Amino acid sequence: MLRRPSARRKVGREQIELNLVPMMDTFVTLIAFLLYTMAFIVMTHVETPLPTASPTEVAEKLKEKPLQLTVSFRKDETEIWSPFKKIEAKKIPNTPEGTPDVNAIHARLVEVKQQFPNEKQVVLAPTGSISYDSLVASMDGIRMLDATDPPIIVKNAETGVDEALKLLFPEVVFGNVLSND
Amino acid sequence: MPAFRSIRTRRGKRKINKGFELQLTSLIDVLVIILVFLLKSYQTSLNTLTTVEGLQMPISASQDEPHDSLQVIITPEGITFEGKRVVDFAQSGDTAGSTEGAYKLNATDLDEGGRRIVGLFNTLVAAREKSELLKAKSPVRDANGNPLPFDGVLAVTADKRIQYDTLRKIMYTAGAAGFKVFRFIALKKET
Repeated sequence: MLRRPSARRKVGREQIELNLVPMMDTFVTLIAFLLYTMAFIVMTHVETPLPTASPTEVAEKLKEKPLQLTVSFRKDETEIWSPFKKIEAKKIPNTPEGTPDVNAIHARLVEVKQQFPNEKQVVLAPTGSISYDSLVASMDGIRMLDATDPPIIVKNAETGVDEALKLLFPEVVFGNVLSND
Repeated sequence: MPAFRSIRTRRGKRKINKGFELQLTSLIDVLVIILVFLLKSYQTSLNTLTTVEGLQMPISASQDEPHDSLQVIITPEGITFEGKRVVDFAQSGDTAGSTEGAYKLNATDLDEGGRRIVGLFNTLVAAREKSELLKAKSPVRDANGNPLPFDGVLAVTADKRIQYDTLRKIMYTAGAAGFKVFRFIALKKET
């Protein structure tokens, strides 16, 4: 039915007013809840097993002469070497601040990983004076692969598919925890 | 006279009587932005690991989220296990009250050629025995019906200035007490 012209003009002119108060109540409650339950400090961990010294296992390993990649942190330098001479030993001087040169260590380890892509373990032999901060930073450089690193492809033993590795040497063991030196 | 009031006057009166309306739209906009920001950066932590005020933790790029485990905290004053101080560091006149040069253990707290911390060892052994007892009483069993073995995981929260020498003594002590895996707790590096 057609409306009168005057009535037609009025149609659609009535403004709908949204009642935003309940929505605001919800938002305020949500914000308060999120702020209350939020963890502002995010923690992470670096796991390392205690080295085991089973004579039979050691004897078995020594037969194969493993890589046993070792990173020795000394007062002025860091040495990356293998007790069985599987790689060429490299000494990396510390930074002017006296801390291990994490970038250079990482770069050398990437080279080693390209040679031994299935190797996962690194033995650390730090000097007693190295700080915990330097140690954790170095462990990051040893364990993690950066986005800028060249891809290291390994065939997955289960699926048979080539996969790019996400971690460099994920297993870090402190080799001198039980020793006297 | 009131009967001859002008239309303008009457309209004006109606305006005054109308209720005051808050403009909530801009406020809602702000709240939405805050809400989106909070939801994006929302992170919860289910673990019960604690830190101590003044402790400067190292920063790590590791992506592993720490799980609940027994925890040792190394502060400039001493070593704390599960919230209880077990060993005090030696405080000389130079180092008292400062964090630099602290973390020296008293010779009387050490044995086995200065490698094992006696107080910490006794506490860790007691904690391991308690854990093993609880696992023995627990109805949860492995495939052979035996109690679950002691996991031997120890979370280590330490100040970043601590030297490896002190850390090594703690690891040696924990290893002697039956703890075989260490988790170094650090602050997560923002990526």
